[in-house]
Amino acid sequence: MSTAGNKQETSSGKRLFWRSLEQKADPQAQHEEAKASDVVKQTISHDELFTLRRRNFLGLSGAMAALVGVEGCVRRPVENIMPYADMPEYINPGVPLHYATATQRNGEALGLVVTTFEGRPTKIEGNPDHPTSLGATDLLAQAGILELYDPERSHAPTHKGVAASFADFDAFVATKLAELQKNGGSGLRVLAQPTNSPTFVRMRAALLAKLPQARVHTYAPVSQSQVLESTRIAFGQPTSVLHDFSQAKVVVALDSDFMMTEPGSVRSARQFASARDMESASGTMNRLYAVEPLFSVTGSNADHRLRLPAQDIARYARALAAELISAHGVQLGAIAPAVQGVATDGIPEHWLKAVASDLAANTGRSLVVAGARQPAAVHALVHALNRALGNAGKTVTYGEALDPTEADNFASIAALASDMAAGKVDTLVILGGNPAHDAPADLHFGDALAKVGTSIHVSSHDEETAALTTWHLPRAHELETWGDLQASTGHYTVQQPMLAPLWGGRSDIEVLGQLAGEPAWRGHDLVQATVTGRGINGELAWRQLLHKGVAEQTFARVLGALEVRDGEVAGALRKLTDAPALSASNLEVVFAADAKMFDGRYANSTWLLELPDPQTRITWDNAALIGPSTAKELGLKSGDMVRLSKDGASVDIVTWVQPGQAPNSIGLTLGWGRKKAGSNGNGHGFDVYPLRTTAAPHFTAGVAVQKLGVTYPLSQVQEHDSMEGRPLAIDATLSEYKEKPNFPEFKSPDPQFAPLWKMQDYSKGNQWGMNVDLNTCNGCNACVIACQAENNVPVVGKEQVARGRSMHWFRIDRYYVGDNEDTPEVAFQPVGCQHCEEAPCENVCPVAATSHSPEGLNDIAYNRCIGTRYCMNNCPYKVRRFNFLNFNQDIPETLQMQKNPNVTVRFRGVVEKCTYCVQRIQKAKSTAKQEGRHWLRDGEVVSACQQVCPTQAITFGDINNPKSVVSTKRRTDRNYALLAEVGARPRTRFLGKIRNPNPEMKS
Amino acid sequence: MSADSPIAEIGETPLVPAHVTAAFVSDEVSRVTEQKAPVGWWMVFGVALMFLGVLLVSVGYLVWNGIGSWGNNSPAAWAWDITNFVWWIGIGHAGTLISAVLFLFRQKWRTSVNRFAEAMTIFAVICALLYPTIHVGRIWFLYWALPIPNQMGMWPNFKSPLLWDVFAVSTYFTVSLLFWFVGLIPDFATLRDRAKNVVRKKVYGALALGWRGSNRHWRHYERAYLILAALSTPLVLSVHSVVSFDFATSVMPGWHTTIFPPYFVAGAVFSGFAMVSTLMIICRQVYGLKDIMTMKHLELMNKIMLVTGSLVGYAYSMEFFIAWYSGNEYERYVFINRATGPYAWAYWTMVTCNVVSPQLFWWKRLRTSIPVMFAVSILINIGMWFERFVIIVTTLHRDYLPSSWGMFHPTLVDIGCYTGSLGLFFTLFSLFIRWLPMIAMFEVKAALPGAQPSHHAAHDEHAEPAHGALAVKEA
Repeated sequence: MSTAGNKQETSSGKRLFWRSLEQKADPQAQHEEAKASDVVKQTISHDELFTLRRRNFLGLSGAMAALVGVEGCVRRPVENIMPYADMPEYINPGVPLHYATATQRNGEALGLVVTTFEGRPTKIEGNPDHPTSLGATDLLAQAGILELYDPERSHAPTHKGVAASFADFDAFVATKLAELQKNGGSGLRVLAQPTNSPTFVRMRAALLAKLPQARVHTYAPVSQSQVLESTRIAFGQPTSVLHDFSQAKVVVALDSDFMMTEPGSVRSARQFASARDMESASGTMNRLYAVEPLFSVTGSNADHRLRLPAQDIARYARALAAELISAHGVQLGAIAPAVQGVATDGIPEHWLKAVASDLAANTGRSLVVAGARQPAAVHALVHALNRALGNAGKTVTYGEALDPTEADNFASIAALASDMAAGKVDTLVILGGNPAHDAPADLHFGDALAKVGTSIHVSSHDEETAALTTWHLPRAHELETWGDLQASTGHYTVQQPMLAPLWGGRSDIEVLGQLAGEPAWRGHDLVQATVTGRGINGELAWRQLLHKGVAEQTFARVLGALEVRDGEVAGALRKLTDAPALSASNLEVVFAADAKMFDGRYANSTWLLELPDPQTRITWDNAALIGPSTAKELGLKSGDMVRLSKDGASVDIVTWVQPGQAPNSIGLTLGWGRKKAGSNGNGHGFDVYPLRTTAAPHFTAGVAVQKLGVTYPLSQVQEHDSMEGRPLAIDATLSEYKEKPNFPEFKSPDPQFAPLWKMQDYSKGNQWGMNVDLNTCNGCNACVIACQAENNVPVVGKEQVARGRSMHWFRIDRYYVGDNEDTPEVAFQPVGCQHCEEAPCENVCPVAATSHSPEGLNDIAYNRCIGTRYCMNNCPYKVRRFNFLNFNQDIPETLQMQKNPNVTVRFRGVVEKCTYCVQRIQKAKSTAKQEGRHWLRDGEVVSACQQVCPTQAITFGDINNPKSVVSTKRRTDRNYALLAEVGARPRTRFLGKIRNPNPEMKS
Repeated sequence: MSADSPIAEIGETPLVPAHVTAAFVSDEVSRVTEQKAPVGWWMVFGVALMFLGVLLVSVGYLVWNGIGSWGNNSPAAWAWDITNFVWWIGIGHAGTLISAVLFLFRQKWRTSVNRFAEAMTIFAVICALLYPTIHVGRIWFLYWALPIPNQMGMWPNFKSPLLWDVFAVSTYFTVSLLFWFVGLIPDFATLRDRAKNVVRKKVYGALALGWRGSNRHWRHYERAYLILAALSTPLVLSVHSVVSFDFATSVMPGWHTTIFPPYFVAGAVFSGFAMVSTLMIICRQVYGLKDIMTMKHLELMNKIMLVTGSLVGYAYSMEFFIAWYSGNEYERYVFINRATGPYAWAYWTMVTCNVVSPQLFWWKRLRTSIPVMFAVSILINIGMWFERFVIIVTTLHRDYLPSSWGMFHPTLVDIGCYTGSLGLFFTLFSLFIRWLPMIAMFEVKAALPGAQPSHHAAHDEHAEPAHGALAVKEA
């Protein structure tokens, strides 16, 4: 491991060595010690040992010659193991330490626990004590670990494109501050992203107090601005909106992908799944109606889905409200006239009648949610509906918003850009974000930057904006700095650094603190001050906070069921204008946060680039998503390049014919087509920001499509969408299930025949098994990345994916069900190695490299594998992966640090596959042994995919223990074995999917 | 009855024309190795050598970079590599069949063909062995597939059909090589005796193992040859049966069928004869050996191709019948996909070449026409390659889970490794023709009219009870 991992900078810019977090937390004392050690080093460096004399030279030459000779005949690189000269407390080589922290994600804090080996973080998990995580994470959090080690993160500050040091920058700030203080900060602007950090909010206030003429702008391409704006309309104050899906029997999602790209998706997904978990046929489950333009993950899990262009969602919401008022007497007061008489073209009648009666029948147990894309008026109507349906205070509550400035998101950056263009901005500090790339195109932010006197960009990468600013500072990763985050539930977490910034770097709060003239502007001091300010006093309380990762007390005032200001809501609704109907000549484009790139900030992550999109299964690219019937009308096929243009702006992008996409509506996901993301992200996908304007940042109609007559290759990991009528991801409706609860009999019977070989005795000891509940799995793909992070699964690149050489051990198969291409239903099926008891792969291996363990694991000895690939052919589940090329060649040093030390990094020519995280099983056994136990507790072994799953769809454990969760699940009547008829007796079992359609919707 | 005599009643004619004498045979066959090679030989050898170069470069690239240099993927973990392996092994079947089985059945017409066919077998098996060797991911550990005692007690997995393959193919290669060499000994002696320079004398002398043609030598030779023939006869059936187990014992629909062993053997004989035919027609033309490799030989071979081609056609249709009759939806889909899926062109190429084209041989005029039989033999070679491609790639590319379905696309290295193996084959074959007697001289002589002491007792079956089976060779 590089010693860089243990370095930190002192305020004087000098590298500092620290041995523990406590020591590091006190940089001053450290500084003293560093000075002392410098003296020692100097004496050594003048030692004659290191001066080159004749004798030394000859000695060295001889040694080098010998080494060169050795190098030539040794295949493995020579590695030296250095013992600690001074052993740090707690750090035992090979024994991981876990630290609680949190990450900011789209307006929500996600509690994390990070695994570190010798000060080297390797894996991120959810913090079970944190309410937004509950132990699970999402795919972006999982990829965070790779982001930390991205060798292309900025390594040093630059000034006008020339490398500089932090000392230079500090000197610059000192003079600049003195200058600014004279005029009260006039001309100073700060552009920050919406925040969940109380320290950030505190520092922002401190800056404005100190420099009252300065202004702070808030902008993120994907934000909750319209939700905040709607609460301002409906309640008269900006509030956070907190849903409780676990209590909702009926959920209506209006263009809301609450399971994937909306804030708090991990928590929402868990709650939604918990209301859907069927222990037996006598159980109950919720029902989800989704109305949306794109085929989102949430829509894939809906019991009923209506595809509707984004501009028509508002119409649907009003028509639904009108139906609730007229047919069910729901009281909406002054809002009623504003929702009457809305045209219902394109909306089937039962989508109003049946949905309204379902909602009305479940007052207090239903929930209407709208997505961030929808205008504030729609959200305001949704608040009113939830209030009127008795849901407020039950399935939805409101809380004090930490950062209300987010409400002005687009207005804020527009104001900044116009001031910049007018030359009113002397100094601009951009804290995170990449506005030159992702600000609305009509602001020409990049051009306006040229008119700013001094611009300072704090960012992780030397990206598009960095090239245009005077200063660029490396922004430290969340795992490298002190910080704090407050969840929308009010739970407070302190972010603690897992290692010192790999290449230096500062956090937003540090830069802000520096500008605010804080004497102790180091992140640790700022956060501790905030913590103290919040009434958490004393060393013990501080340590407990760090240890648990979440404060005992909550900080956001819960506002409960707020009164809705009907008049204001009605006023906002009246302002909604019904846009002209869409057609092939008047198309709508909808901008959506990408499931992987989000707004583009993760664009250099190879894990995310290679992860298939949950819906399209495309890797390494995005595409313009067009529905089958619209594509037919436009004469487009998947892979055709098109030019989308509106008002002089245009985007060239590849077409993807996406079943379930709303008619005449084109889905565009943000964050792709970066030009300066780094060598991995550059040139992958298509940048759609040029079409995005301040006037219509979410969706816009009147877009023309021009076929360019060329095609573009796309790499999919799954090219076939249909199950071909095979009983694979078995599903049933709730009524079918209640009628005939025995799932294995649905279509996949176990065969009855004599075994080929003498069967192994699986009746003793731990016998590992896994269950995957298709009913709660929502296809979010977090497990795929979690497995990749845990098991050192390599990335192969776009071309190799196209060749069919994707290496993911765990994949989510996505099938479309139904005859109509425009309105398919979706079945997700996570598939890893099934660990067959009679494994077809084992018989055929000529060298016995893959064989069974006594605990029922289908083990594979990489060292023994010679790579005949026969096992891959004979695997009915096609889960075995082959290192066709040396995918692990030349890994940069920092990326090597990410690798899990307990899992072999595989060389080319060997087969690999899911091991049921055998390293975790061994770890648990070793722990048990140390504790003097001869048995493992249920739940002591958690596989990586199980741990990350937001919906707890995956259960793992000992099937020999009748009381284990996995055994209990196996006894349910939904349990079946995939391809049971092959007779391989897989250890992984599936629990069939239940759909809960409303019988009234059939009309 | 004496086996060497034509049966006039059923229209048999002598195997060699009347003017062919023992001296003529020696001259005709030996001169090829003694005179300067004709331009035609140099051209064939030159092209073959070039493709051998392609093979070396392709294999070098493959071993250096990994199997990813080929188009193999998941689901098609095997593709051209194993297609080529099975194709070459199949071609290598004709040698043993002609040498051993026809020998045991006293088919005298084999004499002018067998040397040729045996050489082809050896070279084809060398080409075949190339693929299992280079197709593994870590070629440097290939020896782990052999049962070599070691201090770790690690043995290969005897349940694996791939291991059976190792044994079957290496046994076949060893026996075929022995068989070929033993058969060559008397002819080496002839070449030695005719040699005009020291080098030839020494080399052929060494290869002839001191053969003097004594009665005792002949008796030992006959016994050894008979034993080797008896040993290799079961191998004709076993090698390709074992190769077919690679597929038949798997769980893949389209592979998991009991018809595979006989079907593979029939196909192997079919392709082997086609290749022998192709090579014979060329050599016959280039070296003017029409009096030894007569039209009668060619016609008989064509008849065997007609029979085995029809057997293969029967197997194709039976696979479809069983797929339907089994009621197994996965099995059914595989066959529907073969005939109508994205690789349908390969399937129909296979059917056209293997089933339709040999049917021309029902007509005597066509089966005795050199251009027709040459074209058909080439078509069969192509068709049999596609048969293996269809079995391997179209089975794998769409199996149980549609989520994993994919396509296989060959790369330049795939093409290089295939065409390169043809280069290897033809290089070896050219060298064989140049330096070794391509026709078993002493065996042809034994088939000459009057070569048999019992010739005049042709119609008296009880005239020589003591000679029995061995009498035929005592020329």
